Amino acid sequence: MLGKLKNKLVPSNKHDPSVEKPTAQRHSPISITQLKIGKISIRWTYIAVAMLLTFFILAPFSWFLGKYNFVMISMGINTIVIVGLCLLMGYTGQVSLGQAAYFGIGAYFSGYLSKSYDVNPWLAMLIAAIATGAFAYIIGYPIFKLRGNYLAMATLAIGLIMVTFFKQWDVYTDHAEGLSGIPFLSIGGFAFNTPFRRYFLVWAFCLFILLISQNIVRSRTGRALRAIHGNEAAAESIGINVTQFKVKVFVLSAVYASLAGSLFAHHMPSIGPQPFDFLASVKLVVMAVIGGLASIWGAIFGAGTITILSEDLLVRLTQLAPVAYGLILVIVMIFMPQGVFVALKSSAKWLQVNWINLPAIMNRKRKEFPSQMKNRMIRLVPARLWRKSEP
Amino acid sequence: MSQPILETKNLSKAFGGLIAVDKVDLTIDIGKITAIIGPNGAGKTSLFNLITGVYRPTSGEIVFDGKSLKYNPWYAKAVAPMLKQRMLKNKLQRHASAHKRAALGIARTFQHVHLFGNMTVLENIMTGQHTRSRSGFLGAAIRLPKMRREEDTIRLNAMKYLNMVGLGRQAEQNAMSLPLGQQKLLAIARALATEPKLILLDEPGAGLNALEKRELSDLMKRIRDMGITVVLVEHDMPLVMGIAEWIIVLDSGRKIAEGTAAQVQKDHKVIAAYLGEEDDGAEG
Repeated sequence: MLGKLKNKLVPSNKHDPSVEKPTAQRHSPISITQLKIGKISIRWTYIAVAMLLTFFILAPFSWFLGKYNFVMISMGINTIVIVGLCLLMGYTGQVSLGQAAYFGIGAYFSGYLSKSYDVNPWLAMLIAAIATGAFAYIIGYPIFKLRGNYLAMATLAIGLIMVTFFKQWDVYTDHAEGLSGIPFLSIGGFAFNTPFRRYFLVWAFCLFILLISQNIVRSRTGRALRAIHGNEAAAESIGINVTQFKVKVFVLSAVYASLAGSLFAHHMPSIGPQPFDFLASVKLVVMAVIGGLASIWGAIFGAGTITILSEDLLVRLTQLAPVAYGLILVIVMIFMPQGVFVALKSSAKWLQVNWINLPAIMNRKRKEFPSQMKNRMIRLVPARLWRKSEP
Repeated sequence: MSQPILETKNLSKAFGGLIAVDKVDLTIDIGKITAIIGPNGAGKTSLFNLITGVYRPTSGEIVFDGKSLKYNPWYAKAVAPMLKQRMLKNKLQRHASAHKRAALGIARTFQHVHLFGNMTVLENIMTGQHTRSRSGFLGAAIRLPKMRREEDTIRLNAMKYLNMVGLGRQAEQNAMSLPLGQQKLLAIARALATEPKLILLDEPGAGLNALEKRELSDLMKRIRDMGITVVLVEHDMPLVMGIAEWIIVLDSGRKIAEGTAAQVQKDHKVIAAYLGEEDDGAEG
């Protein structure tokens, strides 16, 4: 019944000569979207997904990338936070510069409860998530009366306040040595006491969060969130309760951050205030931007890039690390404002359409490239500076 | 006689010292096309914003479909038995917010189209079905079968409204890539997707060419035939006179005349408002 109706309502352009298929698909017997072996054809997307999955499953084994397990685990944890940040910043268009605070609340709450009161770590994790959610809900209503830059300032302030709490309230947070001796998570008798085991725990969580977030984005709720980003007045006029949705998605992102924080607490030998400070918040925003704010799966890419950089390369810069983050942010915003991952994805799509004409296009580009690059670089410098040098 | 779909009683709105809408009493009849006209700054858009809940009125009341849009919030209900004076009770009353009015059945379009530029044409209209669907965060996250069925219905309904305004072909395009005329049609379709009883169109004809205007008035008649009351604000007099069954004229916040096109055209006050007063003609 529904199918019949659909056929009636959707205009078919089967017989319309004005709608032509892209040239690449019409002329070539082979398609770049599919791999064909004999009669079997598989979409490249599925192949890529399968390869990625295999990589992630094999990565923690000692004969492969076993020595990088700690990096991979923090990558997974960061991904969870960033998915929340994507929902909040990319889809709903509300800035939060204090996301590390909720990460910290989750970590300390869960860590302290399970260490000092012998609460089951899973239960502690749940309590931490609920507490963080409640905290976000309470501050959400007043804070979302603000917009744009003012909202960014307010969230930043909350981040800073919470860092001070973590540093000063040392009865609970034990900042001198850091909160240590937090028990590991375990299922039955199976404790996640080695990095190898925790790797799978964290990435299972991460996959779950990614999937449910993608479902949210592709639903009525997701459309409402994007509508708020698109135009608040119009969203309100078609019956979307703008304030409520903003608060709800803020709570959701805080809960994600809190879950990630709990995983972090039960993973590290000890936790201090340093991973929850302002720089951590900035790092999270940089990750989200690199992954592409309006892209759920880009979160893995963004988290991966910055985590690998920060755990290994940027540590050597010590004092200059924040400068590097700033530089990365500036460069990405100028050249790929939708994020590196999205830029890569769209260029892959472009390649699918244009691959047959590629030699001709490359030839043309080679001629145009120097002048294009010059124009692009010139735009970065104030006009007054470079005009003087010309005669 | 059928009851009016919308009534405003003594409705006023002041921005500081400036009175934008001044004690306006309107009755909009059900199932008709009503036009609100007036010179620039007459308070037409302010009136729209009052009706749709963007602004809170300074005084007065709006009655939609026989029910007042003022209501007692829970805290007012809680303290109501303790209060004797009527004045204080009235102070606690709140006006229904914009999104609640959309759910009640008041839809609107904007002067500056206000589409969602980050979505396709179809998604824009699917968003319009927001108040007619239920599923929330949890249902979406785990993809309940109920929610998937609902999504199918939303998609079908959206396609229906899209075909009604003749944009079925452009369903997968980005909303902002359409030309202005089609953007305005899309905005109307999105308002229709909220399944309203009353639709308010704010200058739908602005920036359209003659052909598009004819299509627009055709569309408005079709909307009326669906049983939806149409109210429009418009500067294009031929369009208004051709289509409106009832015309209300505002000038500097006050209602100065109302009637059919022929009645309004002869009205002295209307002529004075549009062309300026003559000394001897003003009193007559």
